[in-house]
Amino acid sequence: MPVSTGPADTAVVDIPFLIRGRIVEPGEDAVEFGGREGARFRTPNPIEYASQLTLVDPSEMRDLYETPVDHIIDFLVQLGPRLTLDENPMLYAAFRLALEAGELTEPVLRAVYDDFHYQFSRTRLDGMAEKTVGKAFLDGWVERGVPGRSLLRIRAVGTRNLHIIAGNVPITAALTIVRSALCKCDCLIKAPSNDPFTAAAIVRSMIDLDPEHPVTRHFAVAYWKGGDEAVERQVIRPSRIEKLTAWGGMASMVHIQKYLVPGIELIAMNPKLSISVVGHEALASTDAMGEAARGIAAMAGHMNQTACSSTRVVYVECSTDESDLERLEALGHAVYRAFADLPLSISTAPRRRDPELDGELGAVAIDEDYYRVIGDTSFGGVVVSLTAEEAVEFADRLTNRIVNLVPVPDIRRVVRWVNEETQTVGIYPERLRELLRDELALHGVQRTLPIDTHLRTDPPGSDPDQRIGIPHDGMEPMRRMVRWVLDESTDLR
Amino acid sequence: MPESWAQLSFEELFALPARDVEEAQQGAFALRFERLRPEIEALDKLATRQGFTAGRSVEESIPVFFDHRVLKSYPLSLIENGQYDRLTKWLQRLTTHDLVGIQLDGVHSLDSWIDRLEAHEMIVGHSTGTTGKLSFVPRSRTEWPAWSAAYFEMLRALTGVDFRKVQIPYFTAGYRSGHQMMVKMQKLFAEASEGGDANRYPLYESSISADLLSLMGRIRAAEDRGELDQLQIDPRLLEERQTLIRANANREQDMEAWFTKLAEEFRGRRVRIGGGFADLTRLALKAEQDGFHCEFAPGSILIAGGGMKGYRDAPPDWEERVKDFLGIERMHSHYGMSENMGQAPQCEAGFFHFFPYTRPVLLDEDFVALPRTGVQTGRLALFDFLAQTYWGGFISGDRVTVHWDGDCRCGWPNPRIDRQIVRFSELAGVEDDKLTCAGTVKAYSDFMDYVGAI
Repeated sequence: MPVSTGPADTAVVDIPFLIRGRIVEPGEDAVEFGGREGARFRTPNPIEYASQLTLVDPSEMRDLYETPVDHIIDFLVQLGPRLTLDENPMLYAAFRLALEAGELTEPVLRAVYDDFHYQFSRTRLDGMAEKTVGKAFLDGWVERGVPGRSLLRIRAVGTRNLHIIAGNVPITAALTIVRSALCKCDCLIKAPSNDPFTAAAIVRSMIDLDPEHPVTRHFAVAYWKGGDEAVERQVIRPSRIEKLTAWGGMASMVHIQKYLVPGIELIAMNPKLSISVVGHEALASTDAMGEAARGIAAMAGHMNQTACSSTRVVYVECSTDESDLERLEALGHAVYRAFADLPLSISTAPRRRDPELDGELGAVAIDEDYYRVIGDTSFGGVVVSLTAEEAVEFADRLTNRIVNLVPVPDIRRVVRWVNEETQTVGIYPERLRELLRDELALHGVQRTLPIDTHLRTDPPGSDPDQRIGIPHDGMEPMRRMVRWVLDESTDLR
Repeated sequence: MPESWAQLSFEELFALPARDVEEAQQGAFALRFERLRPEIEALDKLATRQGFTAGRSVEESIPVFFDHRVLKSYPLSLIENGQYDRLTKWLQRLTTHDLVGIQLDGVHSLDSWIDRLEAHEMIVGHSTGTTGKLSFVPRSRTEWPAWSAAYFEMLRALTGVDFRKVQIPYFTAGYRSGHQMMVKMQKLFAEASEGGDANRYPLYESSISADLLSLMGRIRAAEDRGELDQLQIDPRLLEERQTLIRANANREQDMEAWFTKLAEEFRGRRVRIGGGFADLTRLALKAEQDGFHCEFAPGSILIAGGGMKGYRDAPPDWEERVKDFLGIERMHSHYGMSENMGQAPQCEAGFFHFFPYTRPVLLDEDFVALPRTGVQTGRLALFDFLAQTYWGGFISGDRVTVHWDGDCRCGWPNPRIDRQIVRFSELAGVEDDKLTCAGTVKAYSDFMDYVGAI
């Protein structure tokens, strides 16, 4: 591949290492890293600082251990207003860099950053601490059983964490910081090259706010190239890291595999795929078809199909009679049109074409007995399978708002194509969601929802805080980031 | 014309003036496109979809090149359900031969389907496809004379030996027969060699089944679900699969036994050894432990290829140790792909040089042809002028470096291809350190394999 250095006027962004309140700017021995699409950045030489990134002596966590979780929340709430693109030049630089290095377009990415203030709002932080671990467990030893008659106490103790985070949607950086602070963890974040700056920008703002605060004193953020053994050998040791949260797929797992020994718990944020399921109603009337098409477009289009919750394959209740397949193709055209009508903050045309995927589409497009192709990767589109139950072979590589509609005569068989990698299933209409949710849950699915959820606001009267502290990919990461410690006695106190 | 060059010796091929080659290739390409477009439905459909008109250069015509996906765009259910008439109709779109007229009575498996096509002038080879679908290359008897000549001239360029005339026993760590392209080629070329196929000593005397390879992924998925008994496939296939799994488990021991026996039997004789780097290195290291050395006659030939995939601890000096063990001074290699008939011999300087009936085109990330000057790295596309009855334009999955200028010290003409060749599929996600929460099935099962192995 030709070496792409990007446009000549692309500035190299300096990203500091942040080590427990200390700012290390890239100096003379700085190292430059280049994203493939032109985003370039410089950091201090990782090997020089590798041994300082982790906390060797757990006693040094005492300050955070003794800080009440409410004080932590106060601090984060103070931080929140500083995390806006308009007022925080570092966060703005992070936004520009993520824009250059990642796959999201400006309106979609801006909406992600605009959501940061909510991530740091009091209601949300309080709810997260209380509904997951429980504030009492974070702040003290909680007696088990009937008060006054207990011989057992439990406490949730913060641990030393390494987070190897994903960069496709920068909310991951904010979420990691919030979770770690609330759990009173000592946290080292290894930034990804597709979003190298967001985590650093947030923690840098923390230092501006109060460099001596116990929360600030337990964050470190650095970049090194995943797989750099010289760095990782020094960082990932059971004497220094107790929990390792790893996002991303095999490429990142291969790197850390050799360091995982008993004593380091892996919290695997496995890569996920999502689908949608559509009932026969969608083919029965123009209105229903339009409704389903808008929903499919939103499920596939939100975050420009880069997220784990983005729909790639849609299973449609449909026979393989010629007339049914014609209606399926009509649904495909309706989805294609619906992409154009999505709000820009949800979805836009992709940043760039995907020539690989266009090649795949081109190959099946010339096979009219078995497929119909509508649109391409410059805008988005649909590949309609005309063979029952047969998704395209490249279904797992669908991107740039390309969805695959697959006819399934008996829609209950959809459970055959889900498993623990299936995060989200958008369903139309509602009767089908209720029919399928138990079987889907048994087969590994982690979330079912109406297909047009992204296009709706919650109805009046619904509890606005109910989404706080909900499970993530079928688990509760905060409950895993702490160590649940038992303290026992033999006499009643 | 490039197609008539197949009759030339490699010395004559490499002596063709560059300007003549350029002109002849461009002229022949335009004619070929015009002739084949009305006869090959897939080419016509692709050209129509791309709004493509005749009269363009090879480099401008990349949009109508095929890739492996065009060669496997059929739904897998056609094979699962034994719909060989529909599969024939699908393959018909890729060739000028009349396939739909072929009677398919008695065809009950993929292997027997290919056998039947081959009884009607076709030579169909398929890919390995261990995880996905098989791709099919619709070659035919029409191509055979040129294909065969190209192969033997390539070997002669490498070794100086014309195997059509000189009988040298040939050891190869593969199967005796099968429709998988590499296996098929070894058999066909052995039959055309002096001494015939009896002169070839493969590791396995058995045949490798196309049916098994094509359904391997489905069988594994069914097994994972505990639904193996519900799968509508021939129980014979499941037995073959067990045999294959056992053979893989014992591969190292089998190979050692096979090779040791041959080394004894052919002691003092001139032999030809083919194989993968990893297999040969394992054999050499084991032999060092046992204090065993081969004693073949001088002039024995070693042609190796492949990578060290799955063999992480190979010693850095593996090549020397393999040569020491075999007692052969030079390790030859060549580069090609089953979709293209011409294969490039590796010269003394370590570069691969295609004969001029293959035109390499290097592509950038957007699949646009890179300039044919200097040193360029990109995706390799090839146009195969020897393909008369199917479309010869093919885009590979390989990243290669081509030197267009400056003489190669071996004396063979440019372009020359660097020995560092990587598959794009192996690069994805490894080089760029971009992490995302969105998965791919492949990445996911790798991940689970890994997690399961802790």
